[in-house]
Amino acid sequence: MVDTAPAVAPSLAAVPPSRRVAPTTEPRLVRGVLIAITATFLSVFLLFPLGVVFVEAFRNGTAGFLSALADPQAQSAIRLTLLVAAIAVPCNIVFGVAAAWAVAKFEFRGKTLLVSLIDLPFSVSPVVAGLVYVLLLGSNTLIGGWLQESFGLRVIFAVPGIVLATIFVTFPFVARELIPLMEQQGNGDEEAALSLGASGLQTFWRTTLPNVKWALLYGVLLCNARAMGEFGAVAVLSGKLRGQTVTMPLHIELAYNEYASVSAFSVAALLAGLALVTLVVKTFLEWKYADHIAGTGRH
Amino acid sequence: MQLDIRDIAKDFGATAALHGVDLTIRSGELIALLGPSGSGKTTLLRIIAGLEFPTRGQVFFGPDDASHRSVQERNVGFVFQHYALFRHMTVYDNIAFGLRVRPSATRPGEAEIRKKVETLLDLVQLPEYGKRFPAQLSGGQRQRIALARALAIEPKVLLLDEPFGALDARVRKDLRRWLRELHDRTGHTTVFVTHDQDEAMELADRVVVMSQGRIEQLGTPDDIYDRPATPFVYDFIGEAFRVPVEVSGGAVLFEGNRLDLPAQGVRDGRATLFVRPENVSLAPPADGLLPAQVEILRRAGARRRAEVALGAGAIRIEADYGAGVEVALKQPVGVAIREAGIFPAA
Repeated sequence: MVDTAPAVAPSLAAVPPSRRVAPTTEPRLVRGVLIAITATFLSVFLLFPLGVVFVEAFRNGTAGFLSALADPQAQSAIRLTLLVAAIAVPCNIVFGVAAAWAVAKFEFRGKTLLVSLIDLPFSVSPVVAGLVYVLLLGSNTLIGGWLQESFGLRVIFAVPGIVLATIFVTFPFVARELIPLMEQQGNGDEEAALSLGASGLQTFWRTTLPNVKWALLYGVLLCNARAMGEFGAVAVLSGKLRGQTVTMPLHIELAYNEYASVSAFSVAALLAGLALVTLVVKTFLEWKYADHIAGTGRH
Repeated sequence: MQLDIRDIAKDFGATAALHGVDLTIRSGELIALLGPSGSGKTTLLRIIAGLEFPTRGQVFFGPDDASHRSVQERNVGFVFQHYALFRHMTVYDNIAFGLRVRPSATRPGEAEIRKKVETLLDLVQLPEYGKRFPAQLSGGQRQRIALARALAIEPKVLLLDEPFGALDARVRKDLRRWLRELHDRTGHTTVFVTHDQDEAMELADRVVVMSQGRIEQLGTPDDIYDRPATPFVYDFIGEAFRVPVEVSGGAVLFEGNRLDLPAQGVRDGRATLFVRPENVSLAPPADGLLPAQVEILRRAGARRRAEVALGAGAIRIEADYGAGVEVALKQPVGVAIREAGIFPAA
């Protein structure tokens, strides 16, 4: 066959097939190995454990799963987690938008320091953050004692402490998403709106916010996922009073330590499910509004 | 609306962008601020708009001191260099923006807004484009929508920052003519910034040439080209070659040869001549002509161009010459400078 092959296009035939691919493309073997390594790691460290969570949750069937969730303590943990997220996420939206606005649109002294500070919760261990709040606001400290005596407000080992810890840990999420985008977009649209007679507030609602809405939504989703899942800082501040200061992650730990594995994994499955929903929503938004999201970068 | 700019200075930290600029722009005039980058032209435009506030000086809109008015209160139509159209709004909503953000007392009804937007879309010759988004428009179309949006608020003055900078050459030429017609029809006092001298010369009633935060010259395009006021303008507008000369008792001397040019009030001493190629004649060597040698010949479109070395050969200038003139490479030639600018040597 090789001998009888027609002698057309000798220039093409002169190039060995392996050379016809783009120069940046690796040989097939390298590609295969890289893909295999990635897939293995994902399976062993992510998919397999995630699968185990769901398998364990449904060990006693759907009925077992549902009754674990119907347990009053589990119910209370779910409610508390939703409450904490409902307070922490809006706080971080306000903070994130304000911080991104300040960093991206103004020049001021100490800007670099501020940007580094926003990242602090990423680098500080959540347990350390929790301990700091205990030392600051515990009932036998100056501030904590004053709050308790004057207002009857207990912060540590109570819901306010859990909210504080969650806000601390989720601090950077919204701001981190918005800052690069807003810096890249610059002030052009705002100046245009102002020159057309819009007030500062109108400019914000009608131009600044719509320009960053996808990044904001993405930041909110990540922030929410983290707020619901936070363990370390919350564990220090909660005191683990059952039915009062136990969030979903804490409930899972308590149940697991008491060998109530179906109960633990049922709530874990619910938490993991929330994370998966977040991921799906995010991917869907990215797919559906790909043009829009790309378009908010520049145009 | 006449604009008076009085002693405007602007510092950005330690660097001065403008040093005390005075300028009067007449009502209904179309004015170009022309200069290289860093000349302060855009800063001056933004100060007129109220997007930037000067370190010193005042801006008068007609008889009123507008120096302390915000950009919203000044009611100027500003067209940004990259248009700054709101990308999440349709063309229609972009144009209607300035009307919709008005306080309810002065805000027109939706029907009136519709009428206005449609009129403006007709004016910029894009009547069918209301439903599109900015990303679906070409550069030239975006430019026109940006202009329609600026005109919607019935501005007292129209300010344009590098209006054709981001467009390709062909579209730029069409839009230039179109903008001039639009200006003549609507009669807005218009100021635009450009670094392109052809654009400034073709479009503007008067041109303000700026350099390093100062006005070098203000005049009609003819004034600027034919009677440049400073060495900078000579270099920046059109082509000019420098010839070092000596002024002595009102006579202009180049290497001892007297040139038939007035010294134009330049004191005795060293001076620099600025010579445009079209003001140089070539002829066979003769008395009264500067001796020179032809070094390079080339053809540029309709023109024939010769580069000649004057006298001893260290100074070269270029000359346009007609078909009747005999010149040959490396041959001696006589040069007559018919017209030139003369400035004392720095």
